[in-house]
Amino acid sequence: MELDEYRASLDDWLERNTHVLTPDHDGIGTLDDQMAQLSKVKRLAFEAGWMRWGWPERVGGLGGSILLRAYLGEALTSRDLVEPGIYSMTEVLAPTMIDYAPLDLAASMVPKLLSGEETWCQGFSEPATGSNLAALSCRATRDGDVWRISGQKVWTSLAQYADRCVLLTRTGSSESAHTGITALFVDMGSPGITVRPIETMHGVPEFSEVFFDDVAVPLDRTLGEEGQGWSVAMDLLPFERSTALWHRVAYLHRRLQSLLDVAPAHLLDSVALGEVTQLLYALRARSRATQYRVAAGEKLGPETSIDKVLVASAEQAVFDLVGAGLGEEVIMGDDPSSDRWRREYLYSRAATIYGGTAEIQRNIIARRLLDLGSDR
Amino acid sequence: MDAADREIFKASLLHAVRGHTGSALDAALDDLGWHEALTLDAETAVSLLFEVQGTASASSSAIGEVLRFALGLDGHHKSDVVLPAFGRWETPGKIVDGSLSVRGLGIVSMGDRPRTLIAATVNDMVAVLDVMAADLVLRHVGGVDPRLGLVQVVGDGVPFNVLTELEPTGWSTAVGVSQLALGHELVGAARTMLELARQHALARIQFGKPISAFQSIRHRLADTLVGIETAESMLRAAWVDQSPVTAGMAKALAGRGARAAARHCQQVLAGIGFTTEHSFHHYVRRVFVLDQLFGTASALTGELGNQLLSSRQLMAMPPL
Ligand SMILES: Cc1cc2nc3c(=O)[nH]c(=O)nc-3n(C[C@H](O)[C@H](O)[C@H](O)COP(=O)(O)OP(=O)(O)OC[C@H]3O[C@@H](n4cnc5c(N)ncnc54)[C@H](O)[C@@H]3O)c2cc1C
Repeated sequence: MELDEYRASLDDWLERNTHVLTPDHDGIGTLDDQMAQLSKVKRLAFEAGWMRWGWPERVGGLGGSILLRAYLGEALTSRDLVEPGIYSMTEVLAPTMIDYAPLDLAASMVPKLLSGEETWCQGFSEPATGSNLAALSCRATRDGDVWRISGQKVWTSLAQYADRCVLLTRTGSSESAHTGITALFVDMGSPGITVRPIETMHGVPEFSEVFFDDVAVPLDRTLGEEGQGWSVAMDLLPFERSTALWHRVAYLHRRLQSLLDVAPAHLLDSVALGEVTQLLYALRARSRATQYRVAAGEKLGPETSIDKVLVASAEQAVFDLVGAGLGEEVIMGDDPSSDRWRREYLYSRAATIYGGTAEIQRNIIARRLLDLGSDR
Repeated sequence: MDAADREIFKASLLHAVRGHTGSALDAALDDLGWHEALTLDAETAVSLLFEVQGTASASSSAIGEVLRFALGLDGHHKSDVVLPAFGRWETPGKIVDGSLSVRGLGIVSMGDRPRTLIAATVNDMVAVLDVMAADLVLRHVGGVDPRLGLVQVVGDGVPFNVLTELEPTGWSTAVGVSQLALGHELVGAARTMLELARQHALARIQFGKPISAFQSIRHRLADTLVGIETAESMLRAAWVDQSPVTAGMAKALAGRGARAAARHCQQVLAGIGFTTEHSFHHYVRRVFVLDQLFGTASALTGELGNQLLSSRQLMAMPPL
């Protein structure tokens, strides 16, 4: 299917099914509400085929360009049908499974994620390992035909809802750095896993601590080869920093328009407004070019750090403007609309942290794109 | 132009801007068929030339040619074209009660030919006028960037002939195309500044290591690249989009990105970058002036903000 045809027929389907697709909850909803809504929308879109286009046939997709699934994300977020943050997990984790999971595992699992039947999470960060990911220490040891995992992850988004986890473990010596890491696909229901949700600043238990106490994971759940986990991570992160953020741009555009709809003129600085708008359109242009590069078969790499810096700056700039233009609502309002603005404002503060901090993106740009050599 | 032709054309433009500047570059561009390219494939001709011109800090009359082309006046090759006044994007001419006053700029060839073309506002209309150069007061600008060949153009009660009247959107469209050209030139200049600073950072040793090892140096250069790529993305999108509003956004992003590049790279180059023995200062000067032509980043940004505040409606984003 071509993009134009997909766009027209999807728009039409969304139009005709507004009544079933619209969230049941009022306002922004709780995280439970948002997760239920996400599963519902994914299920309906999967059954109607929309959610399958742009994914390979061997994992239950219908084939076609990745531009199709990019448009789906944009169409859903710009109609406020899904919360953009939790929607991106699919765009981050499914490509990794497709590239690294054994064929039959990918074929049986990816459809569960696409159809909204399951939620997956990404277990990378640990208490002592944030930016310095290669120092992770959650240990996996071979024991016959299983891995045995002991250790801890933290900031694991949606872990309390997740059926599976793409987990980075230490399988080499503790000094092995990026050569001793192995990626595993773990059932979150396995005995020995404990999840403790953590409340974020924006008032949502979005992420959790996850404890692993001698958890058995079959060897055939290894993603890539033993010791290849760093490559898995390095291939996953560019998706998290670029294509998975395409629909976020549509969301930011929508919210900036909502701000323009209601904010009093004297509270909006025209230069700041002009600058935010320029940044958002430039981000859209950059992000669009990235989508087309992937669609043409190019492999994503360190250049996605520019996309990520841009999206983080644009998001914070949009919500800085919200903080000024709707200051009273954000700070003092207790109605659902104010609550939403406040939560979004607060969440935007994390844009320069998750997916690799703003500083880490600049380190990557300096080293990989500008070839500035080692920073030591 | 296909990809192979583009590469060949780009190589010959690079050769031209490295070897020539000013009227010699005008002649070189004539020889290699840049004007024909402009009429056949404006995006390619403009983006390639202006980027390499910026890269080399060369100067030519090409911005006037772009304005002429965008005004639909290709046939009038034998006259110079007056650009808007310093920092502005309204027409350089204004007719009130039948009397023409001119406040504008020219570059390089201005005054070499007997006739000039001047866009002028008459009530709510824009007309393009034919004016004798001898009836204008021309001042060759030294200023911050003498190598640019800027000319200040002033006239009051100037005799004119009306050549043509423009469509209502004709002037803003022509401004948009000129802004894109300048945007590419700013990006080109910023890329050279970044490269000069990058090479210096790798070569300069302090505290026993190259200064490129210091994170504040690395982050400044990274931010410079982000600014450049941001502008570049917007410029590309604006060519597709063809709207004067997006062109103004692209020019603003390019101006802001290039000014930031100048600031960051100056700091990285430190003492040597502050001398006339190093080529860096040419770029600082050039970017300072180019940001002003057809509207500074801050003026264009404020204008966009004011428009949004009154319309309360964001433009649609470029479709996927
Ligand atoms: C909302 C949210 C959701 C998240 N979801 C997930 C998830 O699902 N899965 C997951 O694995 N992780 C997740 N994370 C974790 C996220 O990836 C980390 O927070 C991030 O990588 C930074 O790690 P840290 O918080 O430990 O900060 P640190 O690494 O301790 O950094 C602290 C500060 O030091 C700076 N710093 C560190 N190293 C350098 C350096 N070399 N140069 C310059 N500055 C440096 C950082 O930029 C930062 O400013 C999430 C985080 C947030 C906020």
